[in-house]
Parts: sequence; C-alpha cells; structure tokens
Amino acid sequence: MNPATFAKFASVSFQKQITYRFDYFVAVLNGFLFVFIFTSVWKSVFAKTGPSGGFTPESIVTYAVLAMVIRISFSMDDTTIYNKVRDGSVAMDLIRPVSFYAMNLAECFGYSAFHLIARGIPIFIVSALLFGVQIPAEQLPLAAVSLVMAYLILFMLNFATGLLSFWVIEIFPFMLLKYGLLNFLSGGIVPMDFFPAVVRPYLALLPFQHIFYTPTAILTGHVANRAAMVMIAEQAAWAAVLAGICALMWRAGRNKLVIQGG
Amino acid sequence: MSNIETVIQAQNLRKEFILSESGKGVWGAAKALFSAKKTIVNAVDGVSFSIMPGEFVGYVGENGAGKSTTIKILTGILLPTSGEARVNGIIPYENRKQNGMNIGVVFGQRTQLWWDLPVRETYEMLRYIYRIPAGTYSDMMKKLTAALDLEPLMNMPVRKLSLGQRMRCDIAASLVHRPRVLFLDEPTIGLDVLAKENIRSFLRELNRAEGTTIILTTHDMNDIEQLCQRLIILDKGRVIYDGETGKLKSRFVHDKMIEVEFHEKVESLAGLPELEVVGESGNKMRLKFQNGGSGITDVIGRLAKLYPIKDISVREPSVESIIRSIYEKTVLLPEYREKE
Repeated sequence: MNPATFAKFASVSFQKQITYRFDYFVAVLNGFLFVFIFTSVWKSVFAKTGPSGGFTPESIVTYAVLAMVIRISFSMDDTTIYNKVRDGSVAMDLIRPVSFYAMNLAECFGYSAFHLIARGIPIFIVSALLFGVQIPAEQLPLAAVSLVMAYLILFMLNFATGLLSFWVIEIFPFMLLKYGLLNFLSGGIVPMDFFPAVVRPYLALLPFQHIFYTPTAILTGHVANRAAMVMIAEQAAWAAVLAGICALMWRAGRNKLVIQGG
Repeated sequence: MSNIETVIQAQNLRKEFILSESGKGVWGAAKALFSAKKTIVNAVDGVSFSIMPGEFVGYVGENGAGKSTTIKILTGILLPTSGEARVNGIIPYENRKQNGMNIGVVFGQRTQLWWDLPVRETYEMLRYIYRIPAGTYSDMMKKLTAALDLEPLMNMPVRKLSLGQRMRCDIAASLVHRPRVLFLDEPTIGLDVLAKENIRSFLRELNRAEGTTIILTTHDMNDIEQLCQRLIILDKGRVIYDGETGKLKSRFVHDKMIEVEFHEKVESLAGLPELEVVGESGNKMRLKFQNGGSGITDVIGRLAKLYPIKDISVREPSVESIIRSIYEKTVLLPEYREKE
C-alpha cells in the first residue's frame, strides 16, 4: 500500500471516531479517573514503603501517568476482523487491491490517532499539572523508537487474535485471555520491577512487557541508555516474530475462511 | 491451458466446506466440542467454463447451487479446494491484489461503500485504492454520475440511502477504476420494477459500449432474458447447461403448451398421441405438445376436426419456466443426460 492510500484509510478511520462525540466525553473522564486512582494508590503505598523497585515517590507517579496516557493513546478496535468475518463483510475488503494487513494497520492508526489527540494529550496535560510529571528530554529519541515498536507489537497481537475468527466463530475466550495477559503482564498497571524476582526472567521471555513497560520505563528514564537499547532490540525481535506469525496465520487462514451469509 | 483470448477460465473448480454439526441445547454443544459430526459439502463440484471478452453471461442456479462460491473464487476471496481459475490470465486467489485491479464486484446483499461517510467520499477513497489518475477519475465519475443519476446522492451518508439508491452507488463504485471484468452477484435483489429496469439498461449499455465482460448471477429470469446472451446453469455445484440463452428456448420448442377451450366437455383425447393432457377444468384443457414427426399446425388441425374448439392458444415456455423445470428435474437437458 502506498503512503497516500495508507493516510487516506487512516484519516477515514479518524473521521469515523469523531462521529461518536458523547462516547468521547465519557471516555476522557474515565481515563482521567484511572490516572487519579493509580497515582493515589502509588502515593499511599510509597508513603508507607519509601522508595522501592528503583522508583521514588515522584517517579512512580510519573510512570503511572505516562503508562496510562500511552495505554489510552494506544486504543485499538480489536473486534474489527471478528465483526467482519462474522457478518461476511470481510469479502468486501478482499475484493480490493490492497493488503489486508496494511489496511487494518492504517485504520488502527487513524483510530489511535484520534484517541491520542482527543484523550491522551488532554489527560496528559491535566495530569502533569495536577500530579507533576518529569520527562528527561534526552530520553525522547529512544522512547520514540520504543513507542513505535510497542505500538506495532500490540497491533500485531490484536491482528493475530482477530485472525483466529477465520478458524473459530467465537473468539471471545481468546480475547479474555489476551485482556488478562495485557492487564497484568504488560506493565500498564504495575511496572515489572514489582514482580517477584523468580518470575521476572520468565516474563522477560514474553512480548507483553514490551508493550507498556518498556516504552514507559525508557521515557521516564527508569532504565539507563544501555539497558534501553537492549530492550528496544528485544522489542524489534518480537515485532519481527509477530509479523511472521501474522503472515503465516493469514496464509493459512485464507484457506479456512468462510463467508457468512452467502 | 490458458487461452490468450479467454478472459475468465475455470478448470474443474471444486470447493468443499466442512460443516460441523452441533447438537441441541447446552449438552449437545458441549458434546460437539469433543466429537463434532463433520459433514463435507461440495459447494462447487467440478465447474469448468471459459468466457470470452465482451460476453454477458448469466450464471444461475438455485440457492446453494454454488453460484456465489464460484464468484468468490474468481474474485480472489475464497481459495478453491482443487482446480484452477484464471481471470485476465491471473490466478485470482494467488494474486488477489493484482486481480483486484482488473475486476469490479457487486454483491447485492452487501455494500462496498463506507457506511459512515457521504457517498462522494467512497469514490474519493477508491481513487486512492486503485491509484486512478485525477483526470481519468473525474472523467469516469462524470460518466457514472450521469448514467446512474448519482448527483442528488453524492452528499448523502451511505446509511441513509434506499436500497435502490445504494445499489446504483455500489455499481458505480465497482466501475470507478474501469475494470475489464464485472462480477454482479444478485444486483437487482429487492429492487422495484423501475429500479431494476434502470440498472438493466445501464448494464446493457456498459457491455455494448465499453465491451466490459459481465458475469451476472440472479434469481430474476427477466434479468437473464433481457441481458445475457449466454447462460450457465448450475445445480448442486455442477454445470448442467452452458450455451446461448436463446438456444435454451429453441431446444424446448418440443415442449409447447396448448390451452384449448372446447364447446363441450371432452373426456379423453383419442387418436392424438402427440398431445399429453397436463391439466383439465370444465371445458378447458392444458396440453403439452412434444415435437415429433408432425408439426404443431398439423396436430391442431386434426384436433379441431375431432373436437369442436371454441378458443385455442399456444404458448412457448418462458426461460424461467424452463429453468424451473430443469431445477425440478422434470426435464433433462439432452447433452447432460448421460451424466445423470
């Protein structure tokens, strides 16, 4: 897909989000509420324990705010493929001379861009003013690379889960599993530093911590440059592995696809 | 195998679907998790045909005969279980995107328009997707807008269109990139007579003026009679007739229907073996005439001599009734008889 077509798909998807305005106000409040809850919890915990897991009371608040803002900005509609297979409209995507993967990525991109602009940034600004957030400027270049990687990893995880609809009619159980893993093992709520030392090496073998923990830790300066580079390399490796999995699933799934409703 | 001249070629296409039955209720569903009864259904079961550029082909069959599945293989949506298809020399399911550049597709029951956007935006979107140069695009849009009367619809959101309006917009959407081949899967479904007529005359003109090859599946035999020079009939995944639409009729001339009203009730027809009584009410009789040694006028002459006739009419069966009798297996097409 050429960049112009990609941008067009993304902008249509972005426009579509604008049409649901009420939804948006609720979602902003909701997002802000989460930031408030998490920062309050960390503050009261740290008031008792003092610095812990390499975090100071200030840096854990920064982590909590940024992790939440990144989560919000990485909003994706992970039911698109499922819905299209379920009602058969996936057929209309397949008649077009565009890559299904690229089209989904572009649409996802437009979707997330809306949530970044409409929710992520406002929530970030308000939270930064209220709770205090420190981002070391020298971390920004590495953090940007890490954020792109994290986004692609999350997208491909969703894409692969969505492709399961080519095999099974109901993918809800897989979705639940995915949500569970994402909530607990991605660092979106609890940074990996607070997991027991026994399990951490195993968690490091999974892609989940590279979605929210890695970019947030790099952005806040929680990990030093050397470690950050290693983490980004791990992200790149995971992105490559997932790209391979998606490609294989797509090829195998084409054979399994049934167009519902004739 | 690929002939340069053919635009579409299907060679022994087969597509099987595996249906797993789930039992009744919760218990049945739970049991199905472990031992699902699997049935293999051959939706398309050895279909072969080739279509030349500029042909307008009707592709018909009962529900579940495999029409849509064939179309989905030719448009690259589905992969065949075996056999091969080529469209413009390309294997559609292997080079889906390349094939997509050369074909237009309308599925009457679905839309390729962007549901949340105004109609105009869909065409704008398609311009990017098919990478159409600005000049070519605006020329084509002008033509389509005029021919399908789209101007009043351009700024309407797609979800507010009526079925007939939506279909016009969908047909235009399938043609923006000037495809050489157009697949229409039930494009007139649910439309009123006038809307159907408009779409038919547009398609006729497209086929005539642009030479676009058109494959049409429909349940409306008027579509076929008015548009398609060639007819392919499908039954249970197999081709049971492939030939000129007109010839289908002439082949059935031996099945003319005669409706006679006699002056008085006739109990049975003696001395006229060519005529078969298929219906009777009062003084009226419906007779089936099978072309044999004697012509129809001769038979009617003899009939009139034997029994005084008040009124008589001779009808040729419509394409619809022929096809219905083919579906119902009350007639077998001669050239396919040996297969049965």
